[in-house]
Amino acid sequence: MPQDENKEGIGGMINPRRYGIERVAYLLMRLSGLGLLAYFIGHIYETSTILRGQVGWNEFLELTQTTEGHAILAIVIAMCVFHTVNGIRVMLGHGGVGVGKPARPDYPYDPASQNYRHKIGIYSAIVLAAVAMMYGLAVMFGE
Amino acid sequence: MRESTIMKIHYGTALAAVALVAVHILMRLTQGFAESLEYESVLANYKFIPYAIMLELILILLSVHGFNGLRVILLELKQGRLYEKAVSYGCLAAMIALIAYGSRTIIMTNMGMV
Repeated sequence: MPQDENKEGIGGMINPRRYGIERVAYLLMRLSGLGLLAYFIGHIYETSTILRGQVGWNEFLELTQTTEGHAILAIVIAMCVFHTVNGIRVMLGHGGVGVGKPARPDYPYDPASQNYRHKIGIYSAIVLAAVAMMYGLAVMFGE
Repeated sequence: MRESTIMKIHYGTALAAVALVAVHILMRLTQGFAESLEYESVLANYKFIPYAIMLELILILLSVHGFNGLRVILLELKQGRLYEKAVSYGCLAAMIALIAYGSRTIIMTNMGMV
């Protein structure tokens, strides 16, 4: 089989349906990373408007201090928390923490590393992201 | 540089950035979100040298972490000698450009060139 036939490309990379919650975490990790990088670049540009003086700063701030701006910031908060918590889980996993002990592979060949500890880590990251987003919305909308 | 070394840098920058970004966000919340974004308040933050140093560190840490993350994602999608070199050097150039642009804001504001 030619090498190219075995490549699913970006479609295979973003398909969250296979391999359970770990695959969803993999996809969310990349999506949140790209989203945060885009926000970071935008934030660097946004803060550079301070060099235009008070008028320039206030003009740009008006663009971001809207309902849509707050909604985007709430999504950024959620992405940030998920990326952080899941990132710590991944780092611990790479360091051998919580991946189980080496053992003989027996049927049904469940991967020892995809155990309940890491699943709890992924679900915790999702829940914490949602809580942080709600808190962020409450702060921004002054509730 | 070896990929294992790059990943150590990736994880190191992540952990350091988490700590510093937490301080950066807490500074927003100490005053109230809207007040902390007022022109005078932001200007005062930039002129406070320890805070300006912290902003510069966050800028470097997140740029290194972010563009290395982008590089990893792009290398997962496609491989090839030329492609990998283009992605690596492209991300490095973008990282340097972003650090330079952000540093310009921090330095000029800190020195009162506004």
